[in-house]
Amino acid sequence: MTDRIREQMSALLDGELPGDEMGLLVRRLERDEQLRRAFGNYVLAGEALRSPSGPLASARFAAKVSAAIDAGTVEVPQVRPARPAPVRWARPAIATAVAASAAVVAVLLVKPAMQETAVVAGGAVQQAQRALASLPIITESSPTPAHSQRLAGYLMAHSQFAGAIGRRNVWSSVLASDPGITRASYEFAETP
Amino acid sequence: MRLVRAALALGVMGLLSQPARASDDDARAWLERMSEALATRNYVGLFTHTTGRQSETMRIVHRVGRNGSTERLVSLDGSGREIVRTLSEVHVYLPDRGVVLVEPRTDQGSLSKALPAPGPQFDALYEMRISDGNKLLGRKVRVLDIRPRDAQRYGYRLWLDEETAMPLRTVVADGRGRPIELINFTQLDMPRKIDSKEIEAAVDAAGFRWVRSARPPPEPRPMMAGWRPTRLPPGFRLVASRTQVIPGVALPVQHLIFSDGFASISVFIEPGSPSGPAPSQASSVGSAHAFSTLVGGHVVTAVGEVPLETVRDVATSVVPVQIPQPPPGVSR
Repeated sequence: MTDRIREQMSALLDGELPGDEMGLLVRRLERDEQLRRAFGNYVLAGEALRSPSGPLASARFAAKVSAAIDAGTVEVPQVRPARPAPVRWARPAIATAVAASAAVVAVLLVKPAMQETAVVAGGAVQQAQRALASLPIITESSPTPAHSQRLAGYLMAHSQFAGAIGRRNVWSSVLASDPGITRASYEFAETP
Repeated sequence: MRLVRAALALGVMGLLSQPARASDDDARAWLERMSEALATRNYVGLFTHTTGRQSETMRIVHRVGRNGSTERLVSLDGSGREIVRTLSEVHVYLPDRGVVLVEPRTDQGSLSKALPAPGPQFDALYEMRISDGNKLLGRKVRVLDIRPRDAQRYGYRLWLDEETAMPLRTVVADGRGRPIELINFTQLDMPRKIDSKEIEAAVDAAGFRWVRSARPPPEPRPMMAGWRPTRLPPGFRLVASRTQVIPGVALPVQHLIFSDGFASISVFIEPGSPSGPAPSQASSVGSAHAFSTLVGGHVVTAVGEVPLETVRDVATSVVPVQIPQPPPGVSR
């Protein structure tokens, strides 16, 4: 990827890319999966650096995760909120899009209160992806696949009755957050 | 991203302290203009969608044709996922999983006419204000604040293009004025014509699994099914109910739709099963929340773009009721 592309992606995120260049970049993003992944990493890294939501995890914790990735194990944060909180669906969109190195960047987003850990064994990349997918969860238990799949179906059904603004918000969240749509196989008729 | 943070800050300040500078009538007119613009205009845009600490870049194409509107929304960050709304169906392309989900499009026909229009009842629930704003995307904007009068629904701040009333930026805020979701356009074009190919998915779905609901849902009808929530926020009323098949749910479910004229809540009732969700599960995605609980051997789930407390109150108040079906052709 060239420096020019990097500059264009940065300008796009800041809303400062001229229209003609924006059109070209968007068409390229739509066609080029590798560039989309790079763009996803860029967004993720930018979010980590800019950290709009609260304190960062300690560098020591990030270093431990990095070491675990290298060793083939990853420490997954187990969240214990002080009071009941809603489940945040995990984000395989990121999990499948970023490389293991980006996991460390993402872990930097974890707040100190969320740093109680449990070791998960397995391959480094897969475990890094699991760690990423687990980060947004802010309750003691993850939704089961059946539960998240059910909710995903409900969300899409509900969105069709929302207004234009509400539907756009829900759809954007579905594309961004993946509320379990792909977590389990579907039980209904398929067409080729 | 500086723009995003600035918008979030403006959202907080505005929803808490925006002075009244124009009449509610003007604000209502702008809301109606916005709704009409979103439904009747061609537009192509890029926007960032921010919730909590996550931000994604999306492209949207909305095309109005002779037979109705079609739409395409695609994520430009990594996954390449897309949602395409055709005249008859909604397709969700998940290239990372090799799956296309297909649901019948159900926002046509009687339901849209059944939704309550803004009016005196709406004014009792929301306070609206319209004010001048700074330029966005080189366009003069008006800022429309829709502030709830209670904590059971969300507030909105909309930056509307002065010429077309198209929303260029949208902030959803909770009852305390804290922003929880932001959509910020970085590009918006409104061409006279959009090629139908612009609505076609860029994903090559050859070899993908196409997953459809087992049967199309019946036309929504404003009648009460055998279940009813006994607690609803003020102003919410039943606007439709139907029995439908939800991907991922083995049996058809009852779907009740409630609206206060701006926000909507869906209540789903499905026969319970051993593999069903555990009682009392709360979930959130973006500004939408869901709450599931068991009632009389059925799984009741309330979903809506309202606070978690609201969907929890609605879901936990659902009880079975016996209501005679209205005769054919009679709406409740």
